[in-house]
Order: sequence, then structure tokens, then C-alpha cells
Amino acid sequence: MKEFEPKIIGFCCNWCTYAGADLAGVSRLQMPPDFRMIRVMCSGTIDPLYVMEAFQKGADGVFIGGCHIGDCHYQTGNHRTKKRVAILKKILSYLGIDPRRVRLEWVSAAEGQKYAEVVTDFVAEIKRLGPNPLKGRLKV
Amino acid sequence: MIEKLQKLAKDYLISGKVEVIFGLREKDNHLAPYIFTQVEELDSLVISSGQAGMQTVKYPLFYTCRPSKKNIIRLIEEKYPAIKMGVIVKGCEERAFIELAKRNQINMENIEILGVACSREEAIECRCPRPYPNHPLLGEKVEGVLEDKNVGELLNKGLSERLAFWQFQLSKCMKCYGCRNACPLCFCQDCAMEQELWSKIGEIPPEIPIFHFIRFYHLADRCIECGECEKACPMDIPLLTISKQVRKDVKELFNYESGLDLKQESPLLTTLDERPMKEVKNDGI
Amino acid sequence: MEYKNVLTVCPYCGCGCNFYLQVLDGELVGILPCKSHLVSQGKLCIKGWNASDFVVSKDRLTKPLRKKNGKFVEISWEEALNLVTEKLTQYSPDAVAVLSSAKCTNEENYLMMKFARAVLKTNSVDHCARLCHAATVVGLGKTFGSGAMTNSIGELEDADCIFVIGSNTTEQHPLIARYIMRAREKGSKLIVADPRLIPLTQFADYHLRQRPGTDVALLNGFMNVILKEGWEDKKFINECTEDFEELKEVAKKYTPEEVEKITGIPQELIIKASRTYAQAKSASLIYSMGITQHTTGVDNVVSCSNLALLTGNVGRPSTGVNPLRGQSNVQGACDMGALPNLYSGYQSVADENARAKFEKAWNTELPTKPGLTVVEMMHEAAKGNLKAIYIMGENPMLSEPDINQVKKALENLEFLVVQDIFLTETAQLADLVLPGTSYAERDGTVTATDRRVQRIRKAIEPIGESKPDWQIICELARKMGSERFEYSSPAEIMDEIASVTPIYGGIGYERIEDIGLQWPCPSKEHPGTPYLHQGKFSRGKGKFFGIEFKEAAELPDADYPLILTTGRTIFHYHTGTMTRRTEALNREVPTGYMEINFKDAEKLNIFEGEIVAVKSRRGKIEVKVQITKKVPEGVIFIPFHFAESPANALTNSAFDPVAKIPEYKVCAVKVEKK
Repeated sequence: MKEFEPKIIGFCCNWCTYAGADLAGVSRLQMPPDFRMIRVMCSGTIDPLYVMEAFQKGADGVFIGGCHIGDCHYQTGNHRTKKRVAILKKILSYLGIDPRRVRLEWVSAAEGQKYAEVVTDFVAEIKRLGPNPLKGRLKV
Repeated sequence: MIEKLQKLAKDYLISGKVEVIFGLREKDNHLAPYIFTQVEELDSLVISSGQAGMQTVKYPLFYTCRPSKKNIIRLIEEKYPAIKMGVIVKGCEERAFIELAKRNQINMENIEILGVACSREEAIECRCPRPYPNHPLLGEKVEGVLEDKNVGELLNKGLSERLAFWQFQLSKCMKCYGCRNACPLCFCQDCAMEQELWSKIGEIPPEIPIFHFIRFYHLADRCIECGECEKACPMDIPLLTISKQVRKDVKELFNYESGLDLKQESPLLTTLDERPMKEVKNDGI
Repeated sequence: MEYKNVLTVCPYCGCGCNFYLQVLDGELVGILPCKSHLVSQGKLCIKGWNASDFVVSKDRLTKPLRKKNGKFVEISWEEALNLVTEKLTQYSPDAVAVLSSAKCTNEENYLMMKFARAVLKTNSVDHCARLCHAATVVGLGKTFGSGAMTNSIGELEDADCIFVIGSNTTEQHPLIARYIMRAREKGSKLIVADPRLIPLTQFADYHLRQRPGTDVALLNGFMNVILKEGWEDKKFINECTEDFEELKEVAKKYTPEEVEKITGIPQELIIKASRTYAQAKSASLIYSMGITQHTTGVDNVVSCSNLALLTGNVGRPSTGVNPLRGQSNVQGACDMGALPNLYSGYQSVADENARAKFEKAWNTELPTKPGLTVVEMMHEAAKGNLKAIYIMGENPMLSEPDINQVKKALENLEFLVVQDIFLTETAQLADLVLPGTSYAERDGTVTATDRRVQRIRKAIEPIGESKPDWQIICELARKMGSERFEYSSPAEIMDEIASVTPIYGGIGYERIEDIGLQWPCPSKEHPGTPYLHQGKFSRGKGKFFGIEFKEAAELPDADYPLILTTGRTIFHYHTGTMTRRTEALNREVPTGYMEINFKDAEKLNIFEGEIVAVKSRRGKIEVKVQITKKVPEGVIFIPFHFAESPANALTNSAFDPVAKIPEYKVCAVKVEKK
């Protein structure tokens, strides 16, 4: 049986996480390939509806990366992210979607190593959790 | 109790404290919101109406009128800015009222609240956690329903059971938008549920679960547990279940309850310094 | 300052839901569902929630219009009514016809048929029921004696088995689908027979996908299995029915094997579904257009009654044969006798006693020859025998089959007057247009599909110079010399109706202020009738008929290889005059579309969203493609609401020989890339 290759969407904030990812790449750190990155200007621009839409369209996991609290380029953007993701996870769990499929991490521009680690860990987690349960069950 | 309320309303009207009274009127066995301008009319003022075999009929006074998407009080305030209005509110209506005022959907200045507390039986029927306004002028504050049966059943299920449950329930949806139309807090001019961006238009059932998720998420900090969404659903989808539990979560995470205090701002609109979040270890499974 | 909530009935479908129109200082501001209403219980479908938008649309007709040199000019009411009087009186009664409206109130339908018969002296009055449930009136009239829904909507909740055939209930009668779902929650079984994958099928225990037009074979197949296994209700058959032998003879031939060949439904499914229906204590049969709109429409309806009679499922609560009537007042329009061969209350024009009664009540002689039906009117107009038609609240230019011929027919008339609230496709062809009022601007009564007569109430003043339709008819009648059209209010009209119509005998405005009454209601003390034929049928005993299967009139062939079946979507209503002027509904479905199966799309090499040409022997349209598995291979589906891609340009005007109802559900088409 073909091994399950998860589709993971990663929303990465331009100033910190995206730079951190770049650093990880330049440093030739090993990272799993199944990661589709979307650069956003701040993790605070992530509407939980994007996350839900990603699941609706078949993503197996969604990663959100932002700056550490206090370091946000826009001061308090990541405050909103933290609160929103907490509520989002609760609602997902009530709907029957495992909230561990959403991962929020603070990764700074200098933390290339950390980036590689969290991404590898997340992909492994999704592989453990299995494919998106919504896939194939949506249409009549 | 209803005679006391009618007398109270009449006193307010006669004394000139208010120019009109906004409440429920019963006519020919049918109940609907009404603006009472004459004292004699107040003889048909009621709080709710019970018919044998049917649930107690109550109407919240804050239905958002479509297509203007403003509630009645706001429409009246816009037309008659100086009018002094007495509004007869139950617990849920006052909560809606406070949330709407927080978001500039009504102006509290010229409004007198005549608060009425509900009975324990009524609270059980509505599954209401707080069946009284902050300062009821009539009725006793009774205990509400704090543990809800539907919520309990949902939390007892495992993840895949929950998914199967919602797949079935939400696939009954016929996109009447009744849940949104009946909600006192759904007044956005550009409603996300209508946008093709999030779910395909023109088919039933709509794309699930995202179509209903939009409401669950957008109302996380606004839901006042009035239950009108469930009452308006022709397919009996238990929409209140998730909203109720999310409201509890918001209280746990942010120590915030919607509809209680006009000065408390929604946690999702503030930073972590203004309203901090409690750290939760368990991801909420 | 005045804010009030006016209780009225939704103007769309036959469910008869009630809601309040919110009125602030004489302006419509919104809609509030009515929580204390028996049927709707505070819930509405998307059309109901938005039923106030079109009332205040800027397209509303506000003044009478006369066509001069191909353009419309505004004229005064005096001039307009004089013109109508002048024109209609110059023709002999055989050359004029009247089309009444299933959207107008009972009072207006009664007045319209009284006007046609007493003033114009013609029996050629008909309305759109001809196009939807004429087969029901004839079919159930033959078998039971009364052509209406036998039970009430609320009773569906307590049925043990519900058999839905030819009805997309969730989309067409959403609040009735609610009761089907509730019944299911309570443990009832659900059988759905429909060629398409309608929303109800995902909740059905058995989904039978029959080939379009093969319903008689399917139902006979059920009866064959039931008789073979001995599941019929012998006691009921002996005591309450007649001609059972005739049915037995015919049903013997329709073995599951034969039926599988004809319909394409697997044998085991037929056997299982028949067992479920027959062995249920209370089984309800629900049907709609899928049964009636065929050249074998009456046969289909009779087969449904045969099945119900065979299993003893008539005359008790939560059973019965339940045709779901479409328009808000189509049941009322039929009850009021806006039909060429019936007076109000289904009293026949051919019956000497009935005619004498009406002649006495109206103080005038009445014509004896039955009149033309709507389809015949078009044929006669095309031939030149019919010279003038007075149309009220109907849009045949979009709702009749083979609309290219309809256009020719209407254009061939010497005088066409249309009374409506918008300038519809039909009104555009008229010589004179009269502005009527919508449901929110006048009082009256309407009758829902479960025979419930309810009040509509005036909420706002008529827009512009429009007048309530009953007033227009009365003024016209008075101008033409009649003295019998003096009424001060619709309540008086209802009193007159009650005096000549036995089934409405006990109905008066003071009695229907709260929840309305279900006819038959013969006297002022009678509480109304929730279910019919209790103990005894309207005609005495229920009658069986042996019905043989006949194919549809136009089957696919080499030139036109696909079957076209037409229908509706939940977001729009019929010819779209009201829904396409409502923002919320137009946003959901802005244009027409065609549903086609994946395999057919592949063969034709067309893709999603492409505009293709669909042709039949009668016409051609261009429509957007929607590839889906909802329709089976070989069948395409086009909703008929859209004037820019009118499905009825393609449909066949062949009709049932007795009911004269056209075959909208089956015709042959081909699809081509543009």
C-alpha cells in the first residue's frame, strides 16, 4: 500500500517564520517535502476561515507560523492569532476534526533549526493522525 | 404577573417617562412584537403565549430586519432620534441588547429597560443559563440550566462519532439562512455565509461543515444563547449545541461572558495584555 | 409612529406557511416567521424569508399601460377600463377566454369565473392548475370522488412509511419535507422514487431510479408483489372498494422482472420497497409533478390511488394519497371553479341542477357548453378562432410547453389584456396592461395544499395606482352592465362563496382569524376536516382501475438522443417574476443551467460552465452546463425559471387526453457544442 503522503498547508508570517524557513533551507537542514507554504504579512491576517477552507478542500494539516509574542512586526498581530486559533481548535474538535491537525508555532527569523524541527514533528504527527476525515465524505 | 407588567408599562407611558412601549402583543391567538403608543392597547401586552401541545411562544425584540440588516430599534432611532422608548426585555433580550450596543447597533441613551425575569419552567424549555436580566423589575431571579443535555451528549462522543453526527445533521440543511436571519447578533452587511468564496452557492445542502462553521466561529464572542437559531431551523439541526459550548470555552479561556456588561469588550477584538488568555494544555479533545 | 406585524400567508408554494410582515410607518421593513402557526411553526425557507423584496421592487407596474405603435404608454384607469369594455363586448362568447390566477385570492378567482360566465357568457376560464395538477383533479376525482390532498401536512410526522414519488419535496415544499424528516427521526421508513438524486434520497431507505415516464409500470409492479405475497388489506377492499378484479387482472402482468425491464429498477429493490409500504401500519403516499405532468398523468394518479386502496391506506390519519399543490392558491383557484367544466366546489357545468343554482344566485342565464382549457386556448388562438384573452396573474409565455407556438398564438389575438404586478414576458405582448396588487397590499383568503383556508392581510397601501384585483374585476363587470358585482370588502365575497359552495359553506372571515379551516366545512358549526374519506369515500366506495403502461409521447431516437426533464430549484419560483427580482435569491442562482451526467458530458466533450446549445423538434436554447451525478445517464434536467434559457422552448405540448395536462417531464433533445 502506498504510504500516506499528507498535504499540509503552512501559513508563514513574512518577518519571522518565513525568514526562519529560509534560514533552514540555506543551512541545508533536512525537512520533509510535503509542506506547501503560503507567505502572509502577519500571522494575525489568518482568518480561521482560511484554515477551515483548507480542510474543506482536502488538506490534512494546517500550520501557522508567527513571531514570538512581543516581537510582532505590527506589535500585537500575533496576539489575535493566539486567541483565534484557540477558539478555532475548540470548534474543530466539536465538529469532529482533530484539533491537533492545526499547529500554531512562534518561530523567529534566527530560528532555522527550530523551524526544521517543528515542521518535521508536525508532518510526522499528521502521518500518525491519518488522512483528513472530511475527504470523500462531503458530496452526496 | 402579566397584570403587574401591564400596570407597570401603563405607568411608564402615562407618566411620560417613555413615549412608546416596545413589547409583545397577543391578538387572535397570535403573538408578535408591537409598539404600543396608547395606554388602552397595553391590555393586550404579554410576555409569552402558551398553546396546548406547543412550546411557549416568545419573540425576541431584536430581529434583524432584512434587507436593511438593522434591527427595529435602530430603524426607529434613525427615523425618530429623540424618541424615548420603553423596552420590555427578558434575560436573553437584554444580553442581545448589550452586545448590540457594544457594537453601535443601538443607542442606549433614550431607552428605558423594563426587565422581566423568566420562570424556572421557561428556563428549562429554552435551555437558558441565565433567565433574568441584570435588574429585573418583575419576577424572581431563578437558576438557569447550566448543564445542557445536547452538549453533554456531544462531548461524550469520540471525534469520529462527532464528525458522523454533524455530517448527518448538517447535510439536512436547505440554506434558508433562518439561523442567521433569526440571530439578533447577525447584522453584517456583507455576510460571509453568502459569499461564494467560502462555499459554493446555489446548491443544497451547502458545503459542509464550512457553511455552518462560519456562524459558529463568527459568533464565538457574541452568542447570547437565546436559541433562536435552532428554533428557526426547519430541519431541526441542533445548532445551539456548539455555540453553547464555545461560549463556555470563551468564559474559561478569557473570563468573558457576552451580554452581561456593556463595558466589557470582546476578547477577540483586544490584545493579550488587555484581556489575557488562560493557557490550556489539553487541546480540547 | 406606527410599527405593526401583519400576519399573512407566504405567496410562494402550497405549504401555506404564515409569517408576519413587519411594517414601520407604512413601509415594509422585514419578515418575522410566525411561531404559533400549525404548519410552519416559526420556520421558513429562503424564499419565504425574502418574500418582501419583490413587493417594493422598482419594476412594479404602477399605472395602466396601453400599447401604441409597439411601445407602452401610460393611461388612466378610466380609459383602460373603457377600452377593455369596448373590446371584450364586441366579440361573441365563443371568441373570448379568461385566464385566472393561482396566485390571486379565492375571492378573486370566484369573481373572475363569475365574470367570465355571467358577464362574458363563456365557460372558457382556466388557470395554471391545468399545467400542474389537472391530472390530480381528474384522477382522484375518478377513484375517490374528491381531487385534493387526503390528509393534513402535520399528520405526516406520525406515518410509519412515507412513499415519495415524483416530488422533490425538500426543494419544492421545504416545510413539508420537514415533517418527512421528523417522521424519519421517529422511526418511519422512507421510500423515494425519482430518476434524479434529489436531496431526500440521501435519507431514504430505498431509492428507486425509474426511467422518466415509467411510473405506471413501477406502481403496478408494487401491486403485483403485494398481491402475490398476500399483503393487501382484504377487509378494506371488501368493504370500501369496487372493481378490485379489474385491478388484479392487470397487476398480474407486471412481475418484478417485467418492471425491471421497463423501468430499469432492480427487482429486489421493488420487492423490498413494496414490502415496506404494504406492511406499514400507516403509510402515506406523496406525489407531485413527476406523476402528473405526463401524457399518462391521469393514469399515474390513478395508479397511486390503486396502491393506497389496495393497502387500506386511505381514510385514516397519517395515510392517504397526498398531491402537493404548487402555487399558494392553486387549490383555492380549483375550488373556486376557475375551470372550464366546473363551478365552485367542483359542481359540474353539465349538471342541470348546479347550473340552475348559479343562475339563480347570479340572476342571469349561464352558458351550457364546457369551455376551452389553457392549451386548447392557445391552439384556437393560433387558428384565429379565439380573438381575445383576458389574463390575470399568469405568465404562459414562460410556463406553457412549446412557448414558440404560444408566442405565435398570443400575437395572433386581436386583443390581449394582461393584469399583473410586473411587466412579465406575457405582459410585453399585451395590448393593454393593468397593474394589480401583490399579496401584501390586499385582503383575501388563500387555500393551502392541505385544504386549509387562511387569511392574507393587507400590510401596506397599493403601490402607485395599482388596484386590488377584485376591485378591478368588479369595476369592469359594472361597466359591462352587471349589477351583481357590488361588494364592499372581500369578506362579503366570501359570504357569497359560502352560500353557493357546499364545501366552503361554513367559512367566514370571523372563523378563520386564527388558524384557518380545512374544507370540507359545510356549516358554521363544522370544525373543518383534517383527513378525507373517513369511513366512506366522497363518491361512496373507492374505485379501482386496471391501468396499462404506455410510453411517453416523445421518446429519444437517433436524432434527439437524450431525455429532457424539467423542474425547479429551491431558490427560484416558477417563471421567476418574483424571485428574480429578489437579491438574496438571484445571488444564489443568477442564471439558468442544465444538469448532465458525467458520462454524457464526456461523450459530448463538454465541460463545466460551458454554454451549449440544446435543441428539440420545437426550439433551441443556450444554457450553461453543470456536470453532476444527480441525473442518470441519458437524461438532462433544466429548471424552467429563466427567461434567457427557457426550458419550455423545448418541451412537448402533447397532453393527457382527459386532463389536458402537458408532458413537461419527458421529451427528446440533443446537446451540441456552440
